[in-house]
Amino acid sequence: MIEEITSYAAGVLLLAGALFSLIAAIVLLRLPDLYTRMHAASKTGTMGAGLSFLAIALTAFDGPVILRAIVGFIFLMLTAPVSAHLLARAACLVGYKPSNLTELNDFARDRSD
Amino acid sequence: MSGAEFLQFAAVVSLGLLSFAFLLTIIRIVRGPTIPDRVLALDMLVSIGIAYIAVVAIKTSFSLYLDVAIALGLVGFLATVAFARYVQHRGLKRKNMPSDDRETKQ
Amino acid sequence: MNRAALAIILALIWASITGNFSAPNLVLGGGVSILALWLVRTEVSTPYYFKKFRLAVSLTLLFFYELALSAVRVSMLVLSPNLKSKLKPGIIAFPLTVQSDVEITLLANLITLTPGTLSVDVSEDKTKLYVHAISVPDKQALIDEIAQGFEAKIIEVFE
Repeated sequence: MIEEITSYAAGVLLLAGALFSLIAAIVLLRLPDLYTRMHAASKTGTMGAGLSFLAIALTAFDGPVILRAIVGFIFLMLTAPVSAHLLARAACLVGYKPSNLTELNDFARDRSD
Repeated sequence: MSGAEFLQFAAVVSLGLLSFAFLLTIIRIVRGPTIPDRVLALDMLVSIGIAYIAVVAIKTSFSLYLDVAIALGLVGFLATVAFARYVQHRGLKRKNMPSDDRETKQ
Repeated sequence: MNRAALAIILALIWASITGNFSAPNLVLGGGVSILALWLVRTEVSTPYYFKKFRLAVSLTLLFFYELALSAVRVSMLVLSPNLKSKLKPGIIAFPLTVQSDVEITLLANLITLTPGTLSVDVSEDKTKLYVHAISVPDKQALIDEIAQGFEAKIIEVFE
């Protein structure tokens, strides 16, 4: 019985994860500049991979495997903002300009002072 | 549909969706237009790869794939950090070249 | 003392992840932990973080909740048909009240994971955090939201 429920839950998590990854990929194509794209890649993309890890934790009835899946999930959640932040910072410092839609740019203003 | 059947079905559908996501991300890598854009797309490609391996791990119920996925996550994170440093260093040297402003034309 | 305790905790995590609590594996884990701690070099103080354990847990839960919410909201935004009209990106300077490195790091990470905002850089004197937002209809409203949400919560945990 419990195996039935976890299988259904894991299946739903897998589908949700794949859907999030697909949405993140669509975002990469649709949004106008690097900084707005980064919003999608850092949140939605990580969510996709993270949900798949949780699905593994649900289907494996084995202590160490569950623990590893959860550790992998936490690791993904901790590293995603760091890498997104580093890339955004590098691009900003070097002077890659945001798209023309951007009206407000305190960073460029403060740098030019 | 029993639980195990549903899981297999979900795994196959997820593999299809992820393959499509892979393709879209590669279009972004090819189109660029700047290096940070490509680095971001590569980062995305790594997380899709992790999801892909995780789905295969469930489909085959072979838990060793989980370690592969975690290792890929580690390598992907380090690669993005290294690329970010590269972007920073490379850019500072060629700051005054006009070619670096290409992406604003989109 | 702190480092020794941390090394033991790390060794136990190593053993539980490899799923093997035998003596050689524990020793190997301890060796790796000591090596890692030696590489990190800067002093890490552990007991401080566990003072307000319950608040820390609630902050962690908030973190995951915000992450899920932000993934859904960003997805909804980008799947809407007239995308360009809804976007109004901007980089704002957020005045920091928190001062220590740990608090700033935590705040920056939480901001990155909230819907529509992404931390870009910290100014050299640590007074401003530059935040990129996917749509900024009102700059002051966004600053207030961050200051009263995450920043207030972080101050509560650390002081």
